[in-house]
Amino acid sequence: MHALDIMLLRDFRRLWSQSLAIALVLACGVMILLTAFGMHRALDDTLTAFYERNEMADIWANVDRAPSHVVNQIAALDGVTQARGRIEKYLILDIPGRIKSASGLALSLPVDGDLPDLNVPIVRSGRLPAPRASDEVMVNEPFAIANGFEVGDTFSALLSGQKRELTITGTALSPEFVYAIGPGNLMPDDAGFGVLWLPEIAMAAAFDMTGAVNSIAVSLTRDTQPEAVVADIDDLLDPYGGSGAFLRKDQMSHAFVSTEIEQLKNMAIILPPIFFGISAFLVNMVIGRIIALERTEIGLMKALGYADLHIAAHFVLLAGLTALIGIALGWLTGGLAARGMAGLYAQYFKFPYLIFNVSYDAYAISGFLALLTAAIGALRSALGAARLPPAVAMSPPAPPRYKKGLLDRMLSSLRLSQPTMMIWRSLLRWPVRTFMSAVGLSMAVAVLIAAGFFISAMDKIVDVAFSQSNRQDAMLVFTAPRPLSALEDVRRLPGVIAVEGEYQAAVTLHNGHLNKQLAIITRGEGATLARAVDDQGRTVEPQGEGIIITNRVAEVLDLARGDMVDVEFMTGRKETFRLPVSGVVTQYFGLGAYMARDAMAHLTRDGIEISLANISLDSAASDAFNQTIKETPAIASAVRLGDMLSGFEDTLDQNVNTTNTLFIVIAMLITVGLTYNSARILLSERARELASLRILGFSNSEVSYVLVGETMLIAVLAQPLGWIFGALISSAMASSFTSDLYSIPLVLTAASFAKASLVVLGTSLLAVLFVRRRIDRFDLVSVMKTRE
Amino acid sequence: MTEPDREAVFRTENLVKTYHTGGVDVHALAGVDLTLYARELSVLLGPSGSGKSTLLNILGGLDHATSGSVRFRDLDLNTLNDRQLTRYRRDHVGFVFQFYNLVPSLTARENVQMVTDISPNPMRPEEALDLVGMGNRIDHFPAELSGGQQQRVAIARAIAKRPEVLLCDEPTGALDITTGVQVLDAIKQINETLGTTAIVITHNAGIQAMAHRVVRFLDGKIASVVENDTRIEPSQIEW
Repeated sequence: MHALDIMLLRDFRRLWSQSLAIALVLACGVMILLTAFGMHRALDDTLTAFYERNEMADIWANVDRAPSHVVNQIAALDGVTQARGRIEKYLILDIPGRIKSASGLALSLPVDGDLPDLNVPIVRSGRLPAPRASDEVMVNEPFAIANGFEVGDTFSALLSGQKRELTITGTALSPEFVYAIGPGNLMPDDAGFGVLWLPEIAMAAAFDMTGAVNSIAVSLTRDTQPEAVVADIDDLLDPYGGSGAFLRKDQMSHAFVSTEIEQLKNMAIILPPIFFGISAFLVNMVIGRIIALERTEIGLMKALGYADLHIAAHFVLLAGLTALIGIALGWLTGGLAARGMAGLYAQYFKFPYLIFNVSYDAYAISGFLALLTAAIGALRSALGAARLPPAVAMSPPAPPRYKKGLLDRMLSSLRLSQPTMMIWRSLLRWPVRTFMSAVGLSMAVAVLIAAGFFISAMDKIVDVAFSQSNRQDAMLVFTAPRPLSALEDVRRLPGVIAVEGEYQAAVTLHNGHLNKQLAIITRGEGATLARAVDDQGRTVEPQGEGIIITNRVAEVLDLARGDMVDVEFMTGRKETFRLPVSGVVTQYFGLGAYMARDAMAHLTRDGIEISLANISLDSAASDAFNQTIKETPAIASAVRLGDMLSGFEDTLDQNVNTTNTLFIVIAMLITVGLTYNSARILLSERARELASLRILGFSNSEVSYVLVGETMLIAVLAQPLGWIFGALISSAMASSFTSDLYSIPLVLTAASFAKASLVVLGTSLLAVLFVRRRIDRFDLVSVMKTRE
Repeated sequence: MTEPDREAVFRTENLVKTYHTGGVDVHALAGVDLTLYARELSVLLGPSGSGKSTLLNILGGLDHATSGSVRFRDLDLNTLNDRQLTRYRRDHVGFVFQFYNLVPSLTARENVQMVTDISPNPMRPEEALDLVGMGNRIDHFPAELSGGQQQRVAIARAIAKRPEVLLCDEPTGALDITTGVQVLDAIKQINETLGTTAIVITHNAGIQAMAHRVVRFLDGKIASVVENDTRIEPSQIEW
């Protein structure tokens, strides 16, 4: 082994604690990169494979009732490879042992008794229902698991008013329902919503759909422009009550899964650079200090004839060894985390399998970036060391020069104590280092604020959705629009205290080239159970003929109050009207628009209709209510707001707690990495100074004040920066997480800022107090005898 | 050796200091009996490793003796704990070192003020700097001063709290003749005008001629103690 290599290893061993602190920060970057990339890749690969193997459709179209031959016409369109029709109906289910009703989406299976050619379910257990059976059903696996069903078990469903007992012949998973949401619901409820596959003959008989379909799935050749096909399909289905074909990107399940995949990608891109940046700075600081301490050795090496390159390489390699530890830790934790998290996601999304290919490229990229980071951090100092002329290197460095600037005069006029002056002068003497340290620490604050922001945003969402807008106990979703008089039937249900009707009209809003499909909601004037609120929490009532849109719609369609918007109805007469936007309301779930009931009836010329009823319930009568719902054929689904809220909060609690813990650990690692190294370097640079204070009669705590004070002053300076970065990151997160499915409000609270600052300041203090113990061990005698 | 008309400041009896390094016992002090008197300027001479610095460190409260006794007036230094030693240094002792050890981020005045801030009865920093002839450089940072000037600031810092003893470890070791003389002048002046007891360690045998008392060390023991009948000025010292 060369002498230089021995020196390298010795240096490394001496620096182990500082190296470890840097390596941990670097490991965070590597781990997040690996985890996010690994999960992204796993979900993307799994989704792609599931779609390909199971023939996920490219276009879906719903229609009131179209003759089967229309499907052949669609299949004959240019660019269409396959078109398959089916019957699709929402059913109310009565599950043994379950007090509340559940709802199901019944899909017809082909007459030949085979699996459908498009959107092919994977049979997970049992078999398909017999083609001629009228009481057999295959259900989606999560529904079976959540209700404890085995093959052979039975439950009841209302088919056109007929309660029928169905026997489960098998379970399946479908690419269409990776993320399955029931009607009127916001998130999956495995026990309360099931996908049911029934033989076509039984479905057609029950719903009077013989020779007809109401749902068509279409697959395209690879290079087809889907928009053109959508227009052709709409033309073909128009006479039969088509409500507009839509692409895969608007398919509910796909939209959720792909949004999640996109977010993982964002995470892989946004977060790791922060860690790599901080690591580079730390490496720079530590290597710079080592070089200052080893000046004489460097001079000696050069005097002995070592080339500049040798010397520069020595220090870059020293940083490289640190990087290797960081990479090893990051690979280890990242590999495990990616696999674990992907497994969790696979449960959350209903995949039949998980394709977890080890992303060697992600390992390579993260490793390369970590090494590059360390090299960049070390390079400047290393080159500086290499360039030192040997004679200069061997003489001690000139003492740092201090000057009296304007700031200094201001500080002097404050008559601070000398130790306090020492702190300030040191910070001002190396402003770049001070600033970079503060920026680094501010990232820890920012990460915590971003984590806290997410919780506040969710609280706000829950408050707006469940306390302000939707105050009903339950929503009864009808199988088809009903006249307003149907409310009287609802009012007679047991336990119903109040009832309000709501109509949802499927429309496309157009503003120039921008357009969006959504539902316009109309409610009775003065409705109190469900209502729209503005950003101040005030109720907004649609007036006159104008429509009120939600903030997300205003944003994506570039509309404001007073603008005109084209409203194209997707059902009924399919007319288009130009209407004024009379207001913008706050809503975080989905897209939406509101309109006065009379104005809607005027436009549709169908009279006042309702598609669901919002009700408030007497909890004492809930058993009777639930029992009655199970027998009521006109209802597709009964959504309990309380269940929805607790489901939402459970999911949030799990996710938010996990992420929050992760973020706190990350912020603490950043803080420890920075504070520990800064304090060690500070102590090393000023050991003589501090020891001389001890000799002059200053006590341990008075001397510690200089070290702790300087470190904590940087930490304090970092706070406002952290608040700014935190607000920026939160804002970036809010907009990157916002989609048509939900939007995240930017809610920044003083409490979350204070909490972030407390965590970082507290962690800094612990780290510097850990270093401070070295002051107690100062050897006063030897410190004074030696020249630096 | 005791003389009733003279006031003893330090008195050691059979003072031993042993270092254990690498399994070997090094006797830095092997039984030292010494008395030093108030208002005297004493010079400790001897080759490297003869024990003079070890003694100075123990007298200054930077280190404990292994055995024997060491008293500052009535105070038994060997019985003091770390906190009490800090107190002792703060209240009674001024130190001057070979490499000055000024705080680079503080000006001359602030370096002195650092000590006066924590002393019960200090002189003004300006006054202390005037005493060592640095009154015109009070706002300079250490990096803006020559070695001799830095050492004089260090002396001002050491005496500004009006210590009873001024301990100087090779105060001219890093200086040339001219600046060395200036520094010795400052020490002499402090000793004479303030009556501060001064103890100076040096390699430079020429310096002994300015002392009241010269103590020679050899192998951890005192070889001789000589009182000078006549003393010379620092400027007359031959380097």
